[in-house]
Amino acid sequence: MTIQDLLLMSAANLWRMKLRTFLTMGGVVIAIGAFVSMVSFGAGVQQNVSEEYEKMGLFTTMQVYPADQDSLTDTTKVVPPLNDSIVARLGELPGVRLAYPYDAFELTIELDTQKFTSDGQVLPQAAIGTRMFSNLVAGRQPHPDSTGEAMITDEFLHDHKLGKADSIIGRTMVVSVSSPMLDSAAVHVVREGRDRLDFWRDSVEVDSLFEGSYLRRVLMGELNVAARNFFEGYLRHPQITRDTLTIVGVMERPESHRLRVKSVIIPDATARRFAAAKGGPRPEDLLAAFQGGRIDNLFGDGTSAGGGSYDRVTLDLEPGVSYAALSDSIKALGYDSFSYLAQFEEIQRSFYYLQMILGVVGLIALATASLGIVNTLVMSILERRREIGILKSLGADDRHIWLQFIAESGVIGAIGAVAGILLGWVVTRIASYIAMRFMEREGVTPIDLFALPWYLILIALAFGTLVSVAAGLYPAARAARVDPVEALRNE
Amino acid sequence: MDSGDLIRTTDLCRYYRRGPQEVRAVDGVNLSITKGEFLSIVGSSGSGKSTLLNLLAGLDTPTGGGIDVAGERIGQMSRWQLADYRATRIGIVFQSFNLVSHYTAQKNVELALYFTDVARSDRPKMAAAMLDRLGLGDRLDHRPADLSGGEQQRVALARALVKRPEILLADEPTGNLDQTNTEQLAALLAELHSEGLTIVLVTHDLALADRSAQRVVRMHYGRVVDGEMPPTGEVRP
Repeated sequence: MTIQDLLLMSAANLWRMKLRTFLTMGGVVIAIGAFVSMVSFGAGVQQNVSEEYEKMGLFTTMQVYPADQDSLTDTTKVVPPLNDSIVARLGELPGVRLAYPYDAFELTIELDTQKFTSDGQVLPQAAIGTRMFSNLVAGRQPHPDSTGEAMITDEFLHDHKLGKADSIIGRTMVVSVSSPMLDSAAVHVVREGRDRLDFWRDSVEVDSLFEGSYLRRVLMGELNVAARNFFEGYLRHPQITRDTLTIVGVMERPESHRLRVKSVIIPDATARRFAAAKGGPRPEDLLAAFQGGRIDNLFGDGTSAGGGSYDRVTLDLEPGVSYAALSDSIKALGYDSFSYLAQFEEIQRSFYYLQMILGVVGLIALATASLGIVNTLVMSILERRREIGILKSLGADDRHIWLQFIAESGVIGAIGAVAGILLGWVVTRIASYIAMRFMEREGVTPIDLFALPWYLILIALAFGTLVSVAAGLYPAARAARVDPVEALRNE
Repeated sequence: MDSGDLIRTTDLCRYYRRGPQEVRAVDGVNLSITKGEFLSIVGSSGSGKSTLLNLLAGLDTPTGGGIDVAGERIGQMSRWQLADYRATRIGIVFQSFNLVSHYTAQKNVELALYFTDVARSDRPKMAAAMLDRLGLGDRLDHRPADLSGGEQQRVALARALVKRPEILLADEPTGNLDQTNTEQLAALLAELHSEGLTIVLVTHDLALADRSAQRVVRMHYGRVVDGEMPPTGEVRP
């Protein structure tokens, strides 16, 4: 008996009991349809996230930031600042294509008649070339040789209602950077100091200066005044640097808040003009330096804000680099790191669990449908006892009978699974259409929430067939055990 | 076992329990059937003749004794060997025809070739040829319900013969047939016997047994009684 004979006989037997077969198959179709549509939702969301990560080049991006002081095992150890020399060292680590700091500042933008405050981000030209900054909605990236070009994000465009992305290309904006300066603070102390002469002339008792306590009180008072003047000068008299930049491109802003991409992207060549005006340290750093007696730290090499330290550094990696090894190297330098791939793997795990749960719900439906198969085949045995006896008298052994019933349950499962996959696909298309229209109405970029990857089709087909075959095991074993003498006995 | 014996049973027993009672359906039967012989087994209902035939067909398993077919003991065959024995070496005809009701006559006959080495493409031709030989060439596409009792029995006979078995086992083949069809079937069996086929015919129709068989044995309560009878119906001493 060939496989072809077996399948044709099974198909013929099922066809003979059309209604019962279709009703039994209906259970499988609905179960597989539910399984496919539910898992398809998980797969679709996962695919969207994966595509977003791929588009942004996040699989080859890592962020480095100073370790949390509390997390250090050696509490006496001071977290080293993330300065330019560290950025250079990070750039030389194996597998790192580029290391660039997160360098952002507040700026005021005048565009035509509009004026608004926003954040700018300085990037080296090589960083602008990375995938994260290459997803352009309109225009192009700033030219390496140009020093008057900038890019804005689509979010900036949207927030300030600046119209369509194409319409903004080529327009100029006046950018102002306000920088608190140590110089201006010193000037303020000197200027205010002139007024102190009157105070000395009118209020200080010269004769009493030789009394220790009086002199100390006067000097402390003067020091307080000087300190107050220093901070006043620092905070209230910043230096304003203005420049005109041409908007040459609008880029898509990545969704991840961890990326901290600012609204205006300025190449470092262009930002150098602002560097001269780049102010001193942040007020809190300034205060800390005063309290700690580390004033000399404030006057660093002047290459970056805050005495040469950055919040974080972004690493653009070569594909296939070992994140664990790189993370260890970064740890050895005294910094923490964050890998988007690790984050993605975490998300993947969540999706895996989600799909598992959805899949299990579908499989429960399939298990219920399999009871229908058992019932159909057991009924079939009762009706076909004589036929089984005939086949055995003609030379069929138990295995042939067993295989025939298994084939019948397999055919129900396979055809049911194919029809179920089609049903699932139709359901997801309808659901996707409704979801996309809803997203459009809500002003969200419509995305297809469902995906039907090949692996899902194969899994559904395999599950449908295997569960049905498993359901056929008991009836098949029972059919194989039919005694031909009993089955052929004259009624 | 004589060199000419094709089938030999030795103290063949088939007992089974029905409630607290033991039923001795076949009880110590010793029987030899030579190659090419036409043997008829007669007896009243419940005498054990059909059980004996089922044992010879390998459909039932003896509870004692043994059956040798061409020197090979059936009881020692594996299930697969036994199935192969039924598929290739014997053909069986039943009183109630036992045709598959949803298959055509040709398909019913083809079914006997499913478990042989005959190529798939040759099966329809062989089935059609056998049906044609038995006078059913114009009934190939008819289902059993569309055929008369005699025609159904001829389809069953065609199914038993299409694989060219060594032995034909017929269990009350005329039990459901009228006189004319009984005569036709008897003539067919005689013709097949004349071609060298070994036939074991189980019947309660003594006239048919007398007319067709070379040798007749009578069974009573599971035993072969009064020795073997010649076709004339007289008890052999």
